Amino acid sequence: MQLVANIIIAASTILLVGLGFALIYRVVRFFHFAHGVVFTSGPYAAFLLTTRLGLPLAISIPIAVVISAALGATMELAVYRPLRRKGSSPLVLLMASLGIYVLLQNTISLAFGDDTKSIRPNTISEGIRVFGAVITPVQLLTVAISIGLLAAMIVFFRQSIMGKALRAVANDPVLANISGIDSDRVIFWTFVIGSALAGIAGIMVAMDVDMTPNMGMNALMMAVVAVIVGGVGSMPGLILGAVLLSAAQQLSSWFLGSQWQEPMAFAVLLVFLLFRPQGFLGKRVKNASI
Amino acid sequence: MDYFYHILVVVCIYAVLANSLNLLTGYTGLLSLAHAAFFGIGAYSAGLLALNAHMPFFVCILCAMVVAGILGLMVGLPSLRVRDDYLAITTFAFQILAFGCLNNWVSLTGGPQGLNGIPRPAIFGIVIASNAQFLVLTACVCSFTYWVVARIVRSPFGRVLKAIREDEIFAQSLGKNVAKYKLTVFVISSCLAALIGAVYAFYIVSIDPTGFTVMESIFIVSILIIGGAGSLWGPFVGAVVLVVLPEVLRQVGLPEALAANSRQILYGILLVTFMMWRPQGLFGEYKLGSSSREGK
Repeated sequence: MQLVANIIIAASTILLVGLGFALIYRVVRFFHFAHGVVFTSGPYAAFLLTTRLGLPLAISIPIAVVISAALGATMELAVYRPLRRKGSSPLVLLMASLGIYVLLQNTISLAFGDDTKSIRPNTISEGIRVFGAVITPVQLLTVAISIGLLAAMIVFFRQSIMGKALRAVANDPVLANISGIDSDRVIFWTFVIGSALAGIAGIMVAMDVDMTPNMGMNALMMAVVAVIVGGVGSMPGLILGAVLLSAAQQLSSWFLGSQWQEPMAFAVLLVFLLFRPQGFLGKRVKNASI
Repeated sequence: MDYFYHILVVVCIYAVLANSLNLLTGYTGLLSLAHAAFFGIGAYSAGLLALNAHMPFFVCILCAMVVAGILGLMVGLPSLRVRDDYLAITTFAFQILAFGCLNNWVSLTGGPQGLNGIPRPAIFGIVIASNAQFLVLTACVCSFTYWVVARIVRSPFGRVLKAIREDEIFAQSLGKNVAKYKLTVFVISSCLAALIGAVYAFYIVSIDPTGFTVMESIFIVSILIIGGAGSLWGPFVGAVVLVVLPEVLRQVGLPEALAANSRQILYGILLVTFMMWRPQGLFGEYKLGSSSREGK
């Protein structure tokens, strides 16, 4: 039972990061590596606000999420948009985002130090027993939030004008432009939403297991694996991918030891890329014939 | 003086790494984020052989290259199915796997402690120990790599590689076996990375997995891209710039504790700047991911 609980908890974190990453990937079509550092920026902003300014956690978390969203939006405005204007290839965008990642992660290291920082509430609460598995309140909250946000995203995509515009740009930016959709504006909001999701995910993870400056890379990689395994552009696929990935991780740490979690995740990815590059439910794939 | 030699050795090592990656990324258009993995595989294979089997220097190096070549073939296989950013992610996955194995397979690799006390190599009876002697050795490897890459690039084989980079389908339509070319280039490139990895292991004496991380791979790619992908001299220039510049910063009095971070911040900035204003690097002829087909 504990194993199942762990799988669900791990899957919901992966899902939160993956949601934002997949959103940006679908609309802008490049691997936004700097998403990892946006993830890290959330908890560090919250840390800064609570320790330096003495704000209560309940106020500093929303502000931190806004800061994350602003960070993602700034990247779009300062780097990605000019690059797109020049017609740069996705690989150039990918390298630029790697550069941003390296730059900002090390800035965080410089500013806060490489040691572990905590925004956990001081009181150590006892785990709740659910069906014989021990879960902490934070973990329960993480699962609830990710399910809530997932539902919100689905509604957003289906119902709202912005959601529809987003899908239109994702399908065909040129056609969307012809239909009077300002694709730059849509992409801007994509970054805002995706980055806010990453910030929330980062804060939830930090509330559970504290933070280090390089926490983002790991989280991002898990998200990337889940997105690819699930199939790019498919929401049910993403859920499936997150669950499969966290199952592979939890089982491998159960049987092999926790240090094999990460290699196992990438072994899963390699198997998929070799035999089913479009993932579980994806349709379109970049293969050698295009 | 020893410090000066050390910097030059490091420049040579990175020049070889960037040059071998150039074959793959600059000339064939396959972006790989796994080069540090091959570097590490070379270092570990040579180190293990020297430590446990007391093999002579050349045997160690040869074995390291063979091991890396076989693994390079395995990494090359997905490149036949996926391309561009998907290929980048695939190699990224391999990089993480390789690091995981180096870090966790304690019985073989010594885990986080790595390998210590790798014996000094002897070439024709001459024991190489000082930094100056290693500089000669790495400079030789560096020239050898340059020669190999230059020979390949100027040969008909190299022209096919460029054709694949510019337009894969067109190359295929001319009857070129694209799969075979891609795999060959993957193998050669990994072998060269392992060659310098082996030399590095002998030079640095103790190796541990932290030298072969994803960040290291990104660093190698940055050297290549900033120097200029697809040019023979680009990797050298890139290596000099990215290795020497942080040392200069250190000389002007930046504290040691901040040096590692500021080195990375510096190349992060350089990478973004170059992507924005000069994606082909200082001397490059190839912009990542651009092909003549899309060049409208």
